[in-house]
Amino acid sequence: MQFKNKDFSNAREVLNVRNLRIGLTGRPQAQPVIDGIDLTIRAGETHCLVGESGSGKSVTSLAAMGLLPKSALEVQSGSIMLDDFEITSASHSQMRQLRARRIAMIFQEPMTALNPVLRVGEQIMEVLNMHSDLSQSEAKKRTLDMMDQVHLPDVNRIFSAFPHQLSGGQRQRIMIAMALILDPDLLIADEPTTALDVTTQLQILKLIAEMQERHGTAVLFITHDMGVVAEIADTVTVMQQGQIVERAPIAELLTNPQKEYTRTLLTAVPNLTPRPARPAAAQSEVVRVAGLDMTYGGGGFLRRSEGVKAAQDVSFTIKPGRTLGIVGESGSGKSTVARAIMRLIDPTAGSVNVAGTEIAQLSRRQLRDHRKHLQIVFQDPYRSLNPRWTVARSLCEGPINFGVPRAEAMRHAAELMELVDLPRDALDRYPHQFSGGQRQRIAIARAVAMKPDLLVADEAVSALDVSVQAQVLDLLDDIQERFGVAMLFITHDLRVAAQICDEVLVMQRGVVVEYGPAGEVLANPRHDYTRNLIEAAPGRHWDFANYRALDSAAMTTGATA
Amino acid sequence: MIEQPQSRHSAFQVLTGLLSLPAGARVGIGPILAALTLVAIVLASILAPLYVPYDPLAMNAAARLKPPSDEFLLGTDPYGRDTFSRVMVGGRVSLLIGVGAALVSVAVGLAIGLVAGFFRTADSIIMRIMDSLMAIPAILLAIALVALNGPSLGSVIIAITVPEVPRVVRLVRSVVLSAREEPYVEAAIALGSSMPKILIQHLMPNTMAPLIVQGTYICASAILIEAILSFLGAGVSTEIPTWGNIMAEGRTYFQIKPGLIFWPGLLLSLCILSINLLGDTARDLLDPRMKKREG
Repeated sequence: MQFKNKDFSNAREVLNVRNLRIGLTGRPQAQPVIDGIDLTIRAGETHCLVGESGSGKSVTSLAAMGLLPKSALEVQSGSIMLDDFEITSASHSQMRQLRARRIAMIFQEPMTALNPVLRVGEQIMEVLNMHSDLSQSEAKKRTLDMMDQVHLPDVNRIFSAFPHQLSGGQRQRIMIAMALILDPDLLIADEPTTALDVTTQLQILKLIAEMQERHGTAVLFITHDMGVVAEIADTVTVMQQGQIVERAPIAELLTNPQKEYTRTLLTAVPNLTPRPARPAAAQSEVVRVAGLDMTYGGGGFLRRSEGVKAAQDVSFTIKPGRTLGIVGESGSGKSTVARAIMRLIDPTAGSVNVAGTEIAQLSRRQLRDHRKHLQIVFQDPYRSLNPRWTVARSLCEGPINFGVPRAEAMRHAAELMELVDLPRDALDRYPHQFSGGQRQRIAIARAVAMKPDLLVADEAVSALDVSVQAQVLDLLDDIQERFGVAMLFITHDLRVAAQICDEVLVMQRGVVVEYGPAGEVLANPRHDYTRNLIEAAPGRHWDFANYRALDSAAMTTGATA
Repeated sequence: MIEQPQSRHSAFQVLTGLLSLPAGARVGIGPILAALTLVAIVLASILAPLYVPYDPLAMNAAARLKPPSDEFLLGTDPYGRDTFSRVMVGGRVSLLIGVGAALVSVAVGLAIGLVAGFFRTADSIIMRIMDSLMAIPAILLAIALVALNGPSLGSVIIAITVPEVPRVVRLVRSVVLSAREEPYVEAAIALGSSMPKILIQHLMPNTMAPLIVQGTYICASAILIEAILSFLGAGVSTEIPTWGNIMAEGRTYFQIKPGLIFWPGLLLSLCILSINLLGDTARDLLDPRMKKREG
């Protein structure tokens, strides 16, 4: 793998953070959120700030923008110098002058960062109007030129489009155009690609690198994804609980990490090497899906409308104790398939056979008796548990529905807590008292409490930090080993799929484009789309856990040809 | 019956959610004064039969239209009935109608709203009925309903409730519509929970906070509508004194005996003002966005 290896020791220092401490407003005794960090970013350098949620990486970037929420956080000591301007003591109007002109920022979710009722072109122009005295026509010309630079197609049309009419990638390009139009010295990018599909993510990463090359901007890039770091960073700073753990040039950090925490982080990064093939399961398939179709809308009273074909002719089987991964980008129909199998929506056509019962055509009432055979774990652990219910009550809900006496359900719930590695006293607490990973464990325990034959995990680890992600994947594996449950694992992340799936099914726009054993699909993808997905997986040539490049024998991608 | 401890628990949660004020939230002097006023009026009305000097219905031809004195604290009306006794006893009926109408409309609206919010097919039918109910002016509908059912206490409460129900239904429905998309509701479906169980245990608690606020407004407006109905002669029968019909009877004598309208009107206004103020306070405290701002 080729890392960036430019030497920046002679470049101008753009941002210089010295011994920065940020704490809760008005509570100097409390544990600081940022505890004495130093950070230097030079012109033309991409400095990646890596860490898990709560490590303080976003707070650092907000402080550099002078955007700390005053009522909650304040700088207690230290300095942030932009060239020779001190940001921590700057007034509001000074900061307003500085933003956009000298420092700019792009965010994770471009939809919420753009004003939904203004045309995107006007939003870019507004930056020019506020910070320069160009005439309207000059400003428009410059805006169109900038939109061209970020490779937006058909710039005249997009200039007068509203944010909702653009794709996620196009919106992020607009944000980048807006950030760079005044040629700032420093660009802060806070997880700018996390909400995007992998193929789009790759394009945006390339674009940021290209723009940096062209304008010589220093970039502070905040991310939790080591793969992205490997692709884009010159220098990496690892943060944990408000402190800097380690800082090194990218190649050095990945080949020879010094600190234990860095090693833990790197070990948890999934790569595209498929799991060793397990011996074929002896039993016959417990899940058989054939010709599943799901069309939204359609029908119509006077005029037959087409409807949206979210899934077409999806067929697969899963054996007990084995995992099938459905992989695809947003809009590929993977979640539709999961929900149709769970009968949270009613499939338009096709058959779903779980544990010997055909459930696709059952009525809601008939279905209730079969619900215990199939369970689901959702993506968002913050919303999948009723916030008003104790953990015990959530865990007992299912078994009690199926006639298990309360006392026994409670006893079982206590055992489940042990299974998912949570303390027993967690039973009497409420969901908000747990972290995301713990909540996901509770959600898994709730599903397992039903002793299902099929466990559907709908992006179940996508919202979690890598280290937590690895633990939850281990837990799922452990549960599968123990109970021999068949698993349907829905994910957008091929790397995660490679870790856990025996078979992989790749979907694109509602159609299955490839279906086969994980090793086969990942090593010899036959369809272009699968190849693109593999190509775009960030850091795919690097084996993070072993600090070395993946040898091409294990990773014949076919795309190298 | 195994469900018992659970539902108590969630009711308890709702209560604590209501009573525990967010850290740093300050309740101004206004709401406290309002609460005190309201408690005083309610207590005075409930206990009225114990302390009023005269039977509010006892006529006394010898003491017609007396001015305030030691004997008749607020004077007497054209039939020689003691105004003080009538106003205090009348408050009981007015408040009963207010609270009764609020409870009935919240309960009925909650039930209909839950169904409308959760079942798509029921939704379109129910909401069209509610829309047409809302298209009829509330007072006219109430007068028509009282005219149909006769001027009893129950029919007045029904007459006030019917126009209020659509508002409650809309509120509950909108809360349910957004809550039912929550993954925890889908998880409950996947766990095989029955529809009534999901409605009552998962969705209903979400509606409680807005409903309590809405309830206070309905209570205030019910007292007012009752007064209007009585004033128009479509309220409870004149044998039962209420603030509304005391004022209605007093209006012909307004120029010589303004107290007949002033005193019940004063209590009525104080009462409604306090309830509305408390409702506003509850809304601010229960609004999660307000809580966040405190944090």
